[in-house]
Amino acid sequence: MSRLLRIYRALFVAEFQAATQYRVQSILWLLFAVIRPVVFLAAWSAAANAQGGAIGDFTIGDFAAYYVCLSLVTQLTMSWDAYDFELEVRQGKLSPKLLRPLHPLHYAVVSNLVFKVVTLPALLPALVLIAWTFQAHFQTQLWQLAVFVPSILLAVALRFVFGWVLAALAFWTTRLHAIMHLYDRVSFIFAGQIAPLSLLPGPLAVLGYALPFAYMQWAPSEILRGGATFDQAMLILLAQVVWLGLSWLAFVGVWRMGLREFSAVGA
Amino acid sequence: MRYLRLLAVFARTELQLAAEYRANLVLDLCEEVIIVISSLGAVLILFTHTGVINGWTLAQMIVLLGVYYIIQGANSVLFETSFERFMEHVRLGTLDFIVIKPANSQFLVSARHVQVAQVGQIVLGVAMIGVGIAQIGEGVGVVQGLAFGVTLACGLGLVYCLLLVLSTLAFWFVRVENLLAIFWSFIDAGRFPVDVYPGWLRVTLSTVVPIGIAVTVPAQAIAGRLDAVGLVTMVAGTGLVWWFAGWFWKQGLRSYTGASA
Repeated sequence: MSRLLRIYRALFVAEFQAATQYRVQSILWLLFAVIRPVVFLAAWSAAANAQGGAIGDFTIGDFAAYYVCLSLVTQLTMSWDAYDFELEVRQGKLSPKLLRPLHPLHYAVVSNLVFKVVTLPALLPALVLIAWTFQAHFQTQLWQLAVFVPSILLAVALRFVFGWVLAALAFWTTRLHAIMHLYDRVSFIFAGQIAPLSLLPGPLAVLGYALPFAYMQWAPSEILRGGATFDQAMLILLAQVVWLGLSWLAFVGVWRMGLREFSAVGA
Repeated sequence: MRYLRLLAVFARTELQLAAEYRANLVLDLCEEVIIVISSLGAVLILFTHTGVINGWTLAQMIVLLGVYYIIQGANSVLFETSFERFMEHVRLGTLDFIVIKPANSQFLVSARHVQVAQVGQIVLGVAMIGVGIAQIGEGVGVVQGLAFGVTLACGLGLVYCLLLVLSTLAFWFVRVENLLAIFWSFIDAGRFPVDVYPGWLRVTLSTVVPIGIAVTVPAQAIAGRLDAVGLVTMVAGTGLVWWFAGWFWKQGLRSYTGASA
């Protein structure tokens, strides 16, 4: 255990130094992280205005709080390994990594965390600005803040592991980009980006609650803005745990089979 | 005329290239359909809760989304890959071979790599405009149609000019992909009328990154909400920007030193 800790500390230092080289890049990521939520926030605000200030239980302030939280959660749970992994498999760069004593997953965990630490200081002021422009109205109580902590951790883990399940598909197909675009579009609808899940029309909402995508982005956002009751929050946590477990099992299975496939190609 | 023929030649060669990877081509087309349908779905979901957004009805919003995908599609078909290659040429010095060709270098750089597979977006965009207009019905007359055509051309021109100016900066700074990435991050905002956004974003989308007005104004023309002043401003503004982008390109080209320098 202490060995793993030492390894992680060394990896952190190295990654952190590498990440600070590309500060402009992280500001660009910031734009992407902020613009889409603002686009839909603006549209919902206009719609709420047309309906006399509220849609369902959502006032304009609630929408603003939701989308501010969603931006934060989206950034914190961001996981992009599948894009890099496809290249590594195709160009054979994976082979030397597999020879190292450490599973490639560990490197990904560290670079993922470092990216978030580096970008967060830039994101927070932007979110404050948006919250202020749209007069966000947070109803968060102390217990919700407390529940948010395990919820966001589960969401980070879930999106990361799920991303790696998709990444591992690169062992079979080198056209991972098509799969990733599909994933992006499904998240677009079911992770709560176009609307808070409760505002989706009936069947879509049911589907949204059943699929894993909402538990990566919508769930922690809804808890953080103070929109979930205690029972709902507990159910959300349960669903997150279940989906994380399933994704982990899927990852272990896919990875094991994939590695066999990979060496069979002779890359 | 000659340039149209050149364009056809580019399209044909690029299509031949793309046809080597047929499964890829089919996947690309499927992707476009999924993207457009999910965007349309987002608008439909929004309109299950309200009948009107900032004065825009569902039919008018569908027209707007159609315009968005026409402009987005034109970008992907003509300019996106071409400008990416152009920046690569500047970096490697291989722009020499383009400059010495007996055709307008600005044209060659802007439209050399026609991505035929992306035409799907334009087709879907046109279809959406058709559906939207059918829903609006009688309100759309010849005048609105003409205004729509003119402003759509202006919108395409504006977005092209912005891309050209940003790419031209490569002559001095070499690595400007990041600037283009800023543009791509803003383009998402074109899917809704520019008037729903808060002040700072509305100003950005109307000036520095004109994707907002490029999409909104043609849709306004169809909705019959564009007055003569707006039309004239749009045409004059585009003319001015067009002239500036061309001038800027020439300045850039003049400072290009080539591979051996």
